[in-house]
Amino acid sequence: MDEERRGTWFGFGFCGFGQALGSGLGRQVHSPEPLRTPGGSLDVCRVSASWSYTAFVTRGGRVQLSGAAGGTADGCTDAWASEELLVLLRAGPGAGAELQAWAPGSAMRGDPLWSQAVQEAEHGPSRDETQAGLLPLLPCARAYVSPRPPFYRPLAPTLRARRLELGAEHALLLDAAGQVFSWGAGRHGQLGHGTLEAEPEPRLLEALQGLRMAEVAAGGWHSVCLSETGDIYIWGWNESGQLALPTKSLAEDGKTTAEASGLEEDGSEVKRGSAGEDGAPAPFIAVQPFPALLDLSPGSEAVKVSCGSRHTAVLTSEWGKYGQLGHKDTTTLDRPCRVEYFVDKQLQVRTVSCGPWNTYVYAVEKEKS
Amino acid sequence: MPSSRGSSQPRDQTHVSDISRLGRWVLSTSATWEAIYIDIDGLVLYIYIFIYMYIFVCSYTYFPLAPIRLSCLARWRAQHAWETLQALLPHTKEELKLELGEKVEGSVLMLLQEAADLFLGGQRRECLQTCEVLLDYSWEKLNTGPWQDVDKDWRRVYAFGCLLKAVCLCEPPGDATSVAAALKACDMGLLMGAAILGDILLKVAAVLQKHLLSGKRPAPGPSQEPPGTKKARNDHVPIPDVTTERTVPRLHCPSLQYFKKHFLVPGRPVILEGVANHWPCMKKWSLEYIQEVAGCRTVPVEVGSRYTDEEWSQTLMTVNEFISKYIREEPKDIGYLAQHQLFDQIPELKQDISIPDYCCLGDGEEEEITINAWFGPQGTVSPLHQDPQQNFLAQVMGRKYIRLYSPQESEALYPHDTHLLHNTSQVDVENPDLEKFPRFAEAPFLSCVLSPGEVLFIPVKHWHYVRALDLSFSVSFWWS
Repeated sequence: MDEERRGTWFGFGFCGFGQALGSGLGRQVHSPEPLRTPGGSLDVCRVSASWSYTAFVTRGGRVQLSGAAGGTADGCTDAWASEELLVLLRAGPGAGAELQAWAPGSAMRGDPLWSQAVQEAEHGPSRDETQAGLLPLLPCARAYVSPRPPFYRPLAPTLRARRLELGAEHALLLDAAGQVFSWGAGRHGQLGHGTLEAEPEPRLLEALQGLRMAEVAAGGWHSVCLSETGDIYIWGWNESGQLALPTKSLAEDGKTTAEASGLEEDGSEVKRGSAGEDGAPAPFIAVQPFPALLDLSPGSEAVKVSCGSRHTAVLTSEWGKYGQLGHKDTTTLDRPCRVEYFVDKQLQVRTVSCGPWNTYVYAVEKEKS
Repeated sequence: MPSSRGSSQPRDQTHVSDISRLGRWVLSTSATWEAIYIDIDGLVLYIYIFIYMYIFVCSYTYFPLAPIRLSCLARWRAQHAWETLQALLPHTKEELKLELGEKVEGSVLMLLQEAADLFLGGQRRECLQTCEVLLDYSWEKLNTGPWQDVDKDWRRVYAFGCLLKAVCLCEPPGDATSVAAALKACDMGLLMGAAILGDILLKVAAVLQKHLLSGKRPAPGPSQEPPGTKKARNDHVPIPDVTTERTVPRLHCPSLQYFKKHFLVPGRPVILEGVANHWPCMKKWSLEYIQEVAGCRTVPVEVGSRYTDEEWSQTLMTVNEFISKYIREEPKDIGYLAQHQLFDQIPELKQDISIPDYCCLGDGEEEEITINAWFGPQGTVSPLHQDPQQNFLAQVMGRKYIRLYSPQESEALYPHDTHLLHNTSQVDVENPDLEKFPRFAEAPFLSCVLSPGEVLFIPVKHWHYVRALDLSFSVSFWWS
């Protein structure tokens, strides 16, 4: 692992508010483009994208906003962007850190909407790089931030939270033992407990019990997690194919999973998986309330996953209307598709971070072997 | 029948008898042509006028010269529709503005402003792009949280996007496909959005619908196909033997006080006769009429035998598609246009029904009464369930078998314990699993076959099960 080789951030997808996304021209970027963040080449270590703006956190502790909201702030270790709030973690007065919530339009000038002193993490140095990217989970792992009041939400200490992700109406938590918990609204199966009922408190995902998870990610109405062995489990709403399962909306347009290639030429009568004539049910999945194992191309191991509002990036699927799938067009997909750009340019992707309608990727050049 | 043999005869000897009947009529009514003065010039002029009048007459009846009729007159109508639309819409920024609360973020307000500016500036394509962004974002908000908790402002934003999208789509030159797409956008705004700019979506939809239908003539009078006799896929309609069951009592036009004392207050079901049988819908409504008034409008349809099934789903389609797919042709699935406020979407249909007078016995306002349409083929089933309001169910087309259980029997009906289905029984009424639900067999009930013209009073929280015995159209009134 070559730490000195700095990589570059790329972005693609919706940038209708002018948020830094490659060239930033027009409303959408369909193919990955290197970021040209304002203020020259910044040493960005974390990207947190909301719908109308993106927050970049540099290793030097600077937070830069781009898009409908602007401004910079120093002395920050982490940032988390949402439409309602911009949350910053700053080195506060004294030893501890300070959690600040700003209105995005304030450009971080004046006073924050509210602020709170928080404990540092129990283990690890406070300025460790790995601290960046924990938000909305607070470093002490005893609470998390929500864009809706109450903003500060405590977590039971027994949970030993390692990572926390928020969807449109649910939350996912990964604990130190690699177990996944979920709570919130469940009407689209995003909690993974097999029902459509809501859960008021964190509830363990029994279907994944015993499997050690390394990462979790929450999209608008779907959830993904990655096991330590590189398997991907995915569940929730599949209306745009974000679960990489066949979706009815695409079938009606004749573009769903090809059992045979060359589907588009056929054009007519795409009765997908139908068997419908003799009464066999069409295999469209609208909602997947239990975790399902995602089959990527054999031999590949997923190491990072991130979810947008209706798309998933590991190497994958779904809602492509604003180009956030990076395949040079705006087709929506319900099967995993490799973003060829990075293969063509001999780049190795290190991390991926999705905004609601766009995707940011950090890649380094491959070692010449 | 005179035959025209004009071509085989020398022109200067064409006889009046050889001219077609239509031609003779044309000549006879054409005041400037009194003298049948047949010579070369006259003949040419006659032919010219004949063709002109032929086209004129053909445009108002179904003749094979339709292509000529469509291209000229349709373009004229498209222009006319567009002008009517332009007159409906605001022309200034101040008028094209929505009053929105704090929930709508500044970024969205920016987009709304941008869309309005692009629209007023005539930049159709860019306006459409901005509308798509607005629609996608507000759609996400509409899908976050329970529907009743969705902030009305997001629904207004959605409706606004639909409005501008619809108008941009049908800007001339508009062909039938783009007008249909524009009408669909209006319907989406009506279904999921909230009223804006003085119910403008309803007005735009009415103009677009009229334009789409302008080629067809309304079929006046009674339909060719009397409702309820549509040939069924299979003729085995298990009509329950209601003589062995206790039936719902029937009354002819009871007074308000009598109804209140004996049925409303004690919560007893009753069938009211003579109350709705004179509504215009009873004579007017048929498949043809419905297609004519609402055919191109988009509505939500439930697909699947009942909403408690796993394969049950909801989808959107036009009324024409619904009728052709789930009623006319051999349907593979059951489709049901159920629990839809069709009369808010298509005000013209509302004029064919009335609100039963007995609703005034309630506490609520007339505007708060929810009127739903229930339209589907034979065999649609609503599983045994209860509603939180009083209900008048008026039958318009076809018959329905209905079973009613008192709320006192709720335990014997085994409601689901999930929040989503807590008002629905687990028992399949006409095929109960008595091993799993033993108490169900003993629960007393009332039943009836509701026929066109009759109104069933279902008291609040009274459990009811409904199965359509024929192609059926019912109208329900939920009131308090």
